[in-house]
Amino acid sequence: MDTHLCFQSSLQANIDNLRSHLNGSDDLVVREFRIGDKGIPRKIAILYFDGLTEEKSIHQFVMEPLMHHAEPQGGGNESDEASLLDRLKNSVLTVGQIHKVDSLATASESLMGGSVVVIPDGYAEGFHISLAGWEQRAVTEPTSQTVIRGPKEAFTENIRVNTALIRRIIKDPRLVLKSRKIGQVTKTNVSVMYIVGIVEEKALDEVNRRLGSIDTDAILESGYIEEFIQDETYTIFPTLQNTERPDVVAASLLEGRIAILIDGTPHVLLAPALFVQYFQAAEDYYHRADISTLIRVLRYFALFIATLVPALYVAITTYHQEMLPTQLLISLSAQREGVPFPAFVEALIMEATYEILREAGVRMPRAVGQAVSIVGTLVIGQAAVDAGIISASMIIVVSITAISSYVIPEFDMSIAVRITRFIFMGLAAAFGLYGIFIGLIALILHLSSLRSFGVPYMAPVGPFSLKDQKDVILRANRRNMKTRPTMFGKRDPVRQRRTRNRGRP
Amino acid sequence: MTRKRLSLLAALALLLPLTGCWDRRELNELAISVAMGIDKSDNLYEVTVQVVQPGEVTDKRGTSGQVPVTIYQAKGVTIFEAIRKMTTVSPRKIYAAHLRAVVFGEPLAREGIGDALDLLSRDYEPRTDFYLLVAKGTTAARALGVLTPLEKIPANKIFESIQTAEKAWAPVRAVTLDEFIGDYENEGNNPVLSGISVIGDGQAGETKENVESVRPAAQLQNSGLAVFRKDRLIGWLDERESKGYNYAVNNVRDTVGHVPCPGGGHVAVEVTRSKASIRGSVKGGRPRLAVELNVEQNVGEVQCRMDLTQTKTVQDLERRSEQTLEEIVRGTIEAAQRKYKTDFLGFGEAVHRRDPGAWKSLRSDWDKHFETAVVDVKVNVKIKRTGTLGNSFKEKGRE
Repeated sequence: MDTHLCFQSSLQANIDNLRSHLNGSDDLVVREFRIGDKGIPRKIAILYFDGLTEEKSIHQFVMEPLMHHAEPQGGGNESDEASLLDRLKNSVLTVGQIHKVDSLATASESLMGGSVVVIPDGYAEGFHISLAGWEQRAVTEPTSQTVIRGPKEAFTENIRVNTALIRRIIKDPRLVLKSRKIGQVTKTNVSVMYIVGIVEEKALDEVNRRLGSIDTDAILESGYIEEFIQDETYTIFPTLQNTERPDVVAASLLEGRIAILIDGTPHVLLAPALFVQYFQAAEDYYHRADISTLIRVLRYFALFIATLVPALYVAITTYHQEMLPTQLLISLSAQREGVPFPAFVEALIMEATYEILREAGVRMPRAVGQAVSIVGTLVIGQAAVDAGIISASMIIVVSITAISSYVIPEFDMSIAVRITRFIFMGLAAAFGLYGIFIGLIALILHLSSLRSFGVPYMAPVGPFSLKDQKDVILRANRRNMKTRPTMFGKRDPVRQRRTRNRGRP
Repeated sequence: MTRKRLSLLAALALLLPLTGCWDRRELNELAISVAMGIDKSDNLYEVTVQVVQPGEVTDKRGTSGQVPVTIYQAKGVTIFEAIRKMTTVSPRKIYAAHLRAVVFGEPLAREGIGDALDLLSRDYEPRTDFYLLVAKGTTAARALGVLTPLEKIPANKIFESIQTAEKAWAPVRAVTLDEFIGDYENEGNNPVLSGISVIGDGQAGETKENVESVRPAAQLQNSGLAVFRKDRLIGWLDERESKGYNYAVNNVRDTVGHVPCPGGGHVAVEVTRSKASIRGSVKGGRPRLAVELNVEQNVGEVQCRMDLTQTKTVQDLERRSEQTLEEIVRGTIEAAQRKYKTDFLGFGEAVHRRDPGAWKSLRSDWDKHFETAVVDVKVNVKIKRTGTLGNSFKEKGRE
């Protein structure tokens, strides 16, 4: 079947062709009726998909005007054929987005996007009117990136709502949105947002190039795009940030980064993404600078705990007992009396148990949550120790590790940390501290080799930049945050000039 | 290509478990030895090791009533052999990294401990932060067999009580292996070690009853310093001499002494700061030695009639203190010069530093030169505070 088939002048033929083009789907609504055209009744049909449009509006703004007001009002001299369409468009249909359509492909595409197609008999042309409207989730509080102080809006599954949320924060003509459709079957609306004049053109071209080269049938979530366009496939570290917070997107755009919005998911991708950004929470910028700095230090400390503590415990208790204070050694070995497993196996059992509990907690139906958590706590906490299978100190190590990994604000990074933890545990069990340090060196080499859209992943620490240290471990006072990060905001580096009002009368 | 690479990677990964973990020891495979005693009998080294029973020390689940430490003993031509031989009685290998104390029996110490120290300084396992001690008048095995209250592990009690006594009482000195070897190798010095003795019934100290009684049948006591000529024990300093030694070598941090009052009775003084320097020089082939001591004190206890509110009284007390301290230090030097004829205070080292040229001619028979050398002792005492009272309340009542 020829998909570029044009409309014909017979209404019936057009309807039949469209029907067969859509393979006879039953949710296509076809309503035929007559309108007056200078006294002569003329057949006309409106088509739409049930559920994708606002039916009330169709009745009110399409059918009612057509049925009652199609006849020209004053004495008219519009007698030529095209004039009926123009008349309908110009003075009858009281709708905003109305476009002419004359091919089956365009018609079916707009139908699936939630448009109403109006085809009068005797014309090889019609209109499609955008009246998309369907049930959707309202803008709610973010679920994974919560804050105490700060905006409590989160993106929804609707890309229009999402772009509107960003536009409501940045009211500037330089904020640009470019859309494209990706996915041969899903035809997902993917939009790229950036601020002209701040964004690095090179990175933007790279984003567009990579998006353009995606050739797949379906994009269902931002993760699909992320995997297609990330720099390095074989790494556990995320090189694209995702967020469900409009304020985070706005802040990133202002830093010169690029946002990629995908229809159907509340997660927006941000590129380029750097290692240090995974340790910056939105709230850092809303609270005072001093506490934000302290909390960042805490996060890096938590990173250290989450990555290394089980490995260090295994290494020190099985290879380097001489490093422990005598009292601690005695108390640890008292706990280990009668524990049947080597420390490494013990750690592995507990870490695995914890991961199982965590996964079950995410996946299980809400109703059984209580049961699993009770069993989990008892198994992990009490019974294993009482039975003498696991030592109490191991429970402490696993718990502090588990909690620490969630101090990292971005879930993507805490996944990466969880994976490295197991690698380090293996190294510690095989080679002790020596293995841990070999692993650390390898890890740092790997991190330094990564890039995100041309920007070194470890910047501004990797290639060191003194100027950018104001927002790495420190969160400098707002007055001192005068420039954008040099990694992406080179083109318009200055955020603010002198601050005049210093709060003195 | 990728297949090949992946299989190569897998092969490499499989190498990891192949290596095994040659050095890996689980905590419950260790016999943590906290103290080691070395004696000699029939030309064999007799090694005694005090091993912790961790469960008995910290367990909160209720102890099974065993003693907190146990003792393994073995004999061997060398110490290393003897320690390994312990596996014939011990289920676990002796782990020596956490040694707190190494005790030598007095008989062995008199024979010389140099050979016995070789293993401890050669082996990589022991940390070098343990203290060396001599069991005064007994064997090391006896001294390590006494159970102690407060600190469940006797080795810990030895370790802690030496540290505490050194800080607060002075006539002991905590000597580590490195310090001992340093003093041994130094031609102008000789080592000393702290002594430890068992008071009471040593046999009874080995049972659990010892720590179940308010007044333990046997206790371990720090007792004076053992003087060595190189690695051989040649005698003991009593408490007063030990104190003098510590004053002279600037090892007093805080101690209490007493000064006689003019009209009978005593005043206790607390030394809060003490700074000593040993000097030596050579004049006309004869060494001139000197000890200069600067001490700050507080008055701690007054048992006689004196008016402490008067500057004159305090100055008088300072003079008397200086006199007492000088006597103490002189007593120690006397012991070194006359009794033991050995320079364990490090005067030779001071001469060496001051006049390396002259030292060359003196060092071969330094002990002889030391014996006849004139030693100046200069003491300077400052009394800073008299406590929360001015005069004794007895004094006030009389006014």
